[in-house]
Amino acid sequence: MSALITDRPAQTGSQDLAQRPTKVSVRNLEFFYGKTRALHGVNFDVPANAITALIGPSGCGKSTLLRTFNRMFELYPEQKATGEIQLDGENILASNYSLANLRARIGMVFQKPTPFAMSIFENVAFPLRHYEKLSKAEMQERVEIALTQAALWNEVKDKLDRSALALSGGQQQRLCIARTLAVRPEVVLLDEPTSALDPQSTARIEEFVLEQARNFTFVIVTHNLQQAARIADQTAFMLNGDLVEVGPHEQMFIHPHDPRTRDYVTGRFG
Amino acid sequence: MSRQPMNPIVRRRQITNAIALVLATGATLFGLLWLVWILWTTVTQGASALSPALFTQMTPPPGEEGGLLNAFYGSAVMILLAIVVGTPIGILAGTYLSEFGKTSVLAETIRFINDILLSAPSIVVGLFIYELVVTTTGHFSGYAGGLALGMILLPVVVRTTDEALRLIPNQLREAGLALGLPQWKVVGYVIYRSASTGIATGVLLGVARISGETAPLLFTALNNQYWSTDLSAPMANVPVVIFQYAMSPYDSWHALAWAGAFVVTAFVLALSIAVRLFLRPRSFK
Repeated sequence: MSALITDRPAQTGSQDLAQRPTKVSVRNLEFFYGKTRALHGVNFDVPANAITALIGPSGCGKSTLLRTFNRMFELYPEQKATGEIQLDGENILASNYSLANLRARIGMVFQKPTPFAMSIFENVAFPLRHYEKLSKAEMQERVEIALTQAALWNEVKDKLDRSALALSGGQQQRLCIARTLAVRPEVVLLDEPTSALDPQSTARIEEFVLEQARNFTFVIVTHNLQQAARIADQTAFMLNGDLVEVGPHEQMFIHPHDPRTRDYVTGRFG
Repeated sequence: MSRQPMNPIVRRRQITNAIALVLATGATLFGLLWLVWILWTTVTQGASALSPALFTQMTPPPGEEGGLLNAFYGSAVMILLAIVVGTPIGILAGTYLSEFGKTSVLAETIRFINDILLSAPSIVVGLFIYELVVTTTGHFSGYAGGLALGMILLPVVVRTTDEALRLIPNQLREAGLALGLPQWKVVGYVIYRSASTGIATGVLLGVARISGETAPLLFTALNNQYWSTDLSAPMANVPVVIFQYAMSPYDSWHALAWAGAFVVTAFVLALSIAVRLFLRPRSFK
């Protein structure tokens, strides 16, 4: 039925997925840009140590949904979220939930690479230093681990003191991933992390996500259906602020329950 | 072969184009003419008056040989004082506007007032400091001069800092905050680094602007014919010396005024070139 389907041996079956503990649970989430309602009561669960993809046409609210997970929207006074997002059972939208603690536990990588105007080493070490007091050797080890996890170590190990701005776009994005991983978050949010990258860099980032899926809980927003089909254990389809359907790989891409999902994954619109 | 008859619309457009081009080029040349003329006069008159004595001797009484050493020193010290006063306050205020106040009523009000201060005649600033410092302390002083220059530098730095910071894409702020870093760390360690060239450019252009200011110094630092490093006393400075000497009837003073004007112009030019060469804004992709 669809040319999108790719076999991925590692992909989790629906039964396996159901057995996993829930890491993040979204309950009746509504989101407002001023008076405009962008999310209409979204409910779904993000399984731990798996890859959840959010798909849907532009403007459907998938990035909005992602940005509530670390309360990034609070930067903008006119934006507001109601409902609950539970991280290990605790509501992170509660005003008394510490923002610093939340963002230490839930990291985020953005669409455009955002390296800081520092050396490659400092890009990873600077946020790490905020959380932990490490010796020089420990710091070097942690930076190496993070860069290795993000599949960047071999390319930069000889030029760690060079400016991060001199790296290519794909390398910069992996550096941003390493920077996020270094502080050891539990959940990593990826907001269209490969849409600004060439196919080769995209492949490397997908490999990284697949490789690290047992160590972190990933939530990835993607415009690219094939990408969701390739890497996601669970896929959520959104349309006009509604979460239409959420399910494992074979449900979403082979036997979608909802006709709108079927239309979207078969390329009828979007 | 005869030429094709020209389409009348095309012909009309070509004529309009030619007229517009002539007018625009003419206006540019007209503007440049005066600029080049002023520069040429300054260079020819000033260069002929240049001598080692200019930088080693004090301002002379009428009819005697001398230099502008005390004036150069005084100007340098007061500009330095202005930088020390104006830059930190300006950068902090610009940071407040861009990073914290944003488009709040308070921030927009401060921006509005800052713009007025930016275009206020410098003589008004001079009179203000005169009232504030000179009349209360009872005498003219280098401090008052430096303060007046600082007041002129301040709005320039506020404006350019605000603008340089607002040029930094919001994604960079979000990236820092998403790591759980507090806002002061994101601004202080991440945003400043990316905006540093823009902020430095603003400070240097502000320095270029105040180095030729005369009016604010007339009522504050006044002038001093002798060598003085005492900031609480009247202080010599290049613009006021140029002003006094150029108005005088003595040829030797005229020559010194030209030389001073030449040095100040060369300094401002060098500063502007340095800004262009070393502080080219790096694009942030």
